[in-house]
Amino acid sequence: MASTQHVLLSPAELAYLHASLSLTPPIRPDGRSPTQFRPLVAETGILPGTNGSARICFADGTEAIVGVKAEVERTRTRHDFPSLDESAEDDDDLDDNQNEVIKGDNDWVEMTVEIPGYRDDDAGTVFLSAMLSEALLADGEFTKRLWINQRFHWKLYLDILLISPPLSYPLPLLSLTTHLALLAARLPRLKSEGDEDPLFDDDWAAAPYLYPRPSEKGSKATAPAPAAARPPVTLLVMAVGNNIIFDPSKEELAVADVALAVSVGESSSSTTSTTSSKPTAMDIDTEETKGHNLRLLSVRTIDPPSRLTPPGIPNASNSAYGANAGAKDAEKKKQQQEQARTAESEAVEGVWKAPRGGAKTLVMATMVQKVLEKGGVADEVLDALDGVDLN
Amino acid sequence: MASLKRSFESDPFAQNISSKVYVRSTKSGKVQKIVREVYLRQDIPCSSKLCNACLKIAPRDAANRPIPFVLSEKPAGTSVFTQGHYIVPDTNAFLSAMDLFEQSSAFYDVIVLQVVLEEVRARSLPLYNRLVSLTKSEDKRFYVFFNEFRLETYVTREENESVNDRNDRAVRKAVKWYNEHLSKTSKKAPAVVMLSNDRDNLRKAKEDDIPAYSLANYVSQLKDGEQLLDMIPELEERDALIEKKPGQFLYPEHYTLSKMNTGVKNGLLHQGIFNVSPYNYLEGSIRVPAFPKALLILGRENINRAVDGDLVVVEVLPKDQWKQPSTQVIEEEAVTMNENPTEEGSDLISEKERKVLQEEAKRTLAKTTEGHALPTAKVVGVIKRNWRQYVGHIDQSSVSSSAAQGRKQDSVFVIPMDKKIPKIRLRTRQVAELLGKRILVTIDAWDRTSRHPTGHFVRSLGELETKAAETEALLLEYDVQYRPFPKTVLDCLPKEGHDWKVPASMDDPGWRDRQDLRDLLICSIDPIGCQDIDDALHARALPNGNFEVGVHIADVSHFVKPNNAMDTEASIRGTTVYLVDKRIDMLPMLLGTDLCSLKPYVERYAFSVIWEMNSNADIVGSRFTKSVIKSREAFSYEQAQLRIDDASQQDELTNSIRTLLELSKKLKQKRLDAGALSLSSPEIKVHMESETSDPIDVKTKEHLPTMSLVEEFMLLANTSVAAKIYEAFPQTAILRRHAAPPKTNFDELANQLRVKKGLDLSVESSRALADSLDLCVDPKEPFFNTLIRIMATRCMMSAEYFCSGTQSYPEFRHYGLASEIYTHFTSPIRRYADLVAHRQLAAAIEYEAVHPAVRSRGRLEAVCKNINVRHRNAQLAGRASIAYYVGQALRGKATEEDGFVMKIFSNGFVVLVPKFGIESLIRLRDLAEPEPAATYDAETYTLTTSGSREVKVELFQKVRVRVTDQKDETTGKRGVKMELVSTY
Repeated sequence: MASTQHVLLSPAELAYLHASLSLTPPIRPDGRSPTQFRPLVAETGILPGTNGSARICFADGTEAIVGVKAEVERTRTRHDFPSLDESAEDDDDLDDNQNEVIKGDNDWVEMTVEIPGYRDDDAGTVFLSAMLSEALLADGEFTKRLWINQRFHWKLYLDILLISPPLSYPLPLLSLTTHLALLAARLPRLKSEGDEDPLFDDDWAAAPYLYPRPSEKGSKATAPAPAAARPPVTLLVMAVGNNIIFDPSKEELAVADVALAVSVGESSSSTTSTTSSKPTAMDIDTEETKGHNLRLLSVRTIDPPSRLTPPGIPNASNSAYGANAGAKDAEKKKQQQEQARTAESEAVEGVWKAPRGGAKTLVMATMVQKVLEKGGVADEVLDALDGVDLN
Repeated sequence: MASLKRSFESDPFAQNISSKVYVRSTKSGKVQKIVREVYLRQDIPCSSKLCNACLKIAPRDAANRPIPFVLSEKPAGTSVFTQGHYIVPDTNAFLSAMDLFEQSSAFYDVIVLQVVLEEVRARSLPLYNRLVSLTKSEDKRFYVFFNEFRLETYVTREENESVNDRNDRAVRKAVKWYNEHLSKTSKKAPAVVMLSNDRDNLRKAKEDDIPAYSLANYVSQLKDGEQLLDMIPELEERDALIEKKPGQFLYPEHYTLSKMNTGVKNGLLHQGIFNVSPYNYLEGSIRVPAFPKALLILGRENINRAVDGDLVVVEVLPKDQWKQPSTQVIEEEAVTMNENPTEEGSDLISEKERKVLQEEAKRTLAKTTEGHALPTAKVVGVIKRNWRQYVGHIDQSSVSSSAAQGRKQDSVFVIPMDKKIPKIRLRTRQVAELLGKRILVTIDAWDRTSRHPTGHFVRSLGELETKAAETEALLLEYDVQYRPFPKTVLDCLPKEGHDWKVPASMDDPGWRDRQDLRDLLICSIDPIGCQDIDDALHARALPNGNFEVGVHIADVSHFVKPNNAMDTEASIRGTTVYLVDKRIDMLPMLLGTDLCSLKPYVERYAFSVIWEMNSNADIVGSRFTKSVIKSREAFSYEQAQLRIDDASQQDELTNSIRTLLELSKKLKQKRLDAGALSLSSPEIKVHMESETSDPIDVKTKEHLPTMSLVEEFMLLANTSVAAKIYEAFPQTAILRRHAAPPKTNFDELANQLRVKKGLDLSVESSRALADSLDLCVDPKEPFFNTLIRIMATRCMMSAEYFCSGTQSYPEFRHYGLASEIYTHFTSPIRRYADLVAHRQLAAAIEYEAVHPAVRSRGRLEAVCKNINVRHRNAQLAGRASIAYYVGQALRGKATEEDGFVMKIFSNGFVVLVPKFGIESLIRLRDLAEPEPAATYDAETYTLTTSGSREVKVELFQKVRVRVTDQKDETTGKRGVKMELVSTY
């Protein structure tokens, strides 16, 4: 779908775009710097009936809404792998109830992605939702938050809706919106103890956030502090030549040599130590650089649409420019075709040729590194999202 | 990008819109976040007649008339608010002292806030219904103010505020607003006073400068406050328990609700209705689905503050604590006689109780080896209290001598009439007045620290043993609705009143689809003096040699339309209750005894079932129709019998009764062949002096063939109708079933018969049971068979109404009548189920459209549940009334009668005297003074006494007893007392 959709650009235009993006520094059609995101507007809590919701509009007019709904569900006792260590754990539970094992299951999260104009079983849509849920579930930490007790858990339904036509590959938009919605999500406060049937506080205002706020540390001192303090974000990165470009627009993606979806998460260990010294919550304009403790969750290559673009033909072999004007017999035609093939394999300056072959390892490594580095793009994005009012 | 969220700054109506967000947990375990938008308005009137501003803006009804305001312009004053005042009670004021608000001496001009009304509804439905009826009463001037929708009085929940606190704040805000609002109307505006029994709420009101009083404080400002003071429970303190030392707790703590729910779901705990044994107040039982037999709950600590009828959760005790059911009679009064109500002993179990229990333990210890022990359990929590108002009287011995004179508040015990209810501790100032009276009390609470529940006084019914007080006590005890019919119900009656007639013109809509059966020779046969004649019969020979037999039932459904006030009232009452001297009608008199009643010589609407039968009483064909009939005669059973027996009477009517009698005998034989049981319960009749209606004599009822004549045809009609409505409404037909009793129910009786008489009781089917009951005869003792039938009847399940969709067809069976399907159709004047059956039958024969009320399964199930309870209560009330009158009839007389031993304990036995239909317990200590020693052999059901008196009492033994009347000190009832004269 969106990544492979055809862009209405002529080979010449593609060649031009490719050339300008290959410059050092690259010149992007909308004048952004390579690491600059498109401006966006975000708000949370737009759907009062959900546990958490968010909406983001990109300046190019794409817009997404994400709603998070949670339901209490009975945890099935797993019979599929009665491994030794599990039975040992059960014995432990009998002896000592305080030593409860909090564990989650990937079934506890159900994610649906809707892109207008595409079926929900379209390969692209499925791939998008797989990438988004992979990022969420990769480290196994997220589902632990949904654990209520040995017998019950929250089942989380993430409904991700693109509400504008897919003007560009919507992955970053959807990921950021999901991130915000999860940040804003709250679950009713548990009142019962132990493995009883859960009972919840009827006061919504008392419901704790799925991702507890640093400022609320005092009130939730006993809460188990799982590693990731924020939901993951998935960034779309592309490379043209050796240039690495973030948040590509549709046209830019059409000439990408490589496109990667990089998911990063944040582990709380460093941030908690920095924020605990400061009484106020993190502000975007704090002077000291307090970097996010980022870690890589997953990397996926995305088939760039550039591979399906029609190639340009050098003037030399273009009949419109008089080449092979007289050739008429079949013998010549065959020769001509062979010639065209060799012409394609050679790069001709100013003539568009779809990229071939895999990405270079070095470029890929640089792309990932650029995402993760302190003060890098992911840092910036997370900081920016901090500024969104979550109430 | 424009925000999608509602922006409150830009919206001109923003202040009128608010939202409520809360978490709702459903029964099925779902947890939902609920968002409700609240649209606030400013035109909700204060409803004070003083206020003109509100009158102008108040919404009008459809005819553009203003809705009349409720609160008086000159409300009553108190010693503090001389200018007059309106009352705003908070939720717990209503919950704890609803009786107070129903007083006619005070509590007028009350503002019931919406938030309070909703809270009352959530906490207690019966109290809510009483409150709603108060708001509807015109003279009490209760006004429901929708504070949650009025802009000025709406409050949003603050962070970390509990719902209760928020609602309390809403009440205070409403009071404040009312005060400010009314002060604008005039200078001497009435004050608006908050009443609360919650200390916290009162304190906060004081901080905000809102006039607020506790109930006790407020009542003491009233003129005759003294009397009302007793009706107020003590001030509630939420943290009262914490202050007490843990050592003072007498009872184990109840589990939390979630813990109980989890346990019940896991099958570790069991939930059921707690029942107390009528013979032993320390023994309870609970039936739970997981066990075939009821679980025993023994001792105060295990009963853990459960009261008979509560829905409780129990935990089964380990096997080494399993016990046998008690063979001893333990009455609370005898054991806890001299307790002091003011000082709470620190021991849960008093010395005397302990002694009784120990004896019990000794006995069971010897027996446990034999494997008779039953599983025992302990109560770990109460899901729902089933407390109601209890009738009782003050225990004379609990009154200190000073209290009997003074007016100071004193604690006394009230002994409820129902022996299954524990003593209730009551604080009252009017001990002297209340002594020797029947009083109504309620239970307020039962703390862990208190041995007995605490309650408060509601009202006095009158002197003990006066007819009025005892009858009312009886009606209250069995929850019989005995208040006169309200105006709304009487409005549903035909306007013509007693002058109503079947329309002369056949074109009248009343005649639509009605068959004219006025030319048939129809007559009714009923007990003497019967006014509500439900049924009439006819029979005539057909040219083909068969007979046409008709059963005509009063067409009540013509007069009582579904869902009007009269129908609702009837469905609540469920049945007419017959007491010895009084009848509490289900329908207003006009219908019951006149318009519906199939009186002789007048035309009446009827619903007829007409069969064609051959001479063998086999049904050839049947049909159902609405009709108009004219009964030729209303016979009593005796008259009809005389007429049949008199050979000189050869008129057509008499002959048709003879035909009916012949057919009915054949029908009965068929029924018995199919295995119908002939059961017995002691039936007696109290003869009254006609003028004073004082009972003068007691007689057992005679049985006449004409009675079974009527009975057989009614059974046939019921069965035919049941089949018809089931065919038309397989899911929603209202039917009656009598479940086959579990075999274990008969275990005890079968064992007793085997041991004592060498008789076998086979219980495989109703037929086998009927046959073996027939064989249970003692040639020397004709009554023995009846005695066994009485005892067998008590082993059975009670029949019940149900909605056909709730059971599978084989479960429809009526065990006692040996009928596959059965319903009640023949007494619509006195039973609501019959009325529903009439409507269903009318719809089934396409006489009228199916009303949603008779089609909705949920509604019908609720109706069935209610009438099953009402039916049972009506029976119990009727029996209790007979027992009371038997006591009265025997007053001052002492007679010697023959009796039979029905039940035997290690310290007493129960004797049934057939002549009076009464049974009574004779304790060992009644035999002689001092109490003779006794040995009880449970194997042979023999009690042998020695010492001061030597007798040997066996089960089923015929004994001679002296029957005298005696006032039972424990219940304050006059009843019979029996003394053993001799054994045969």
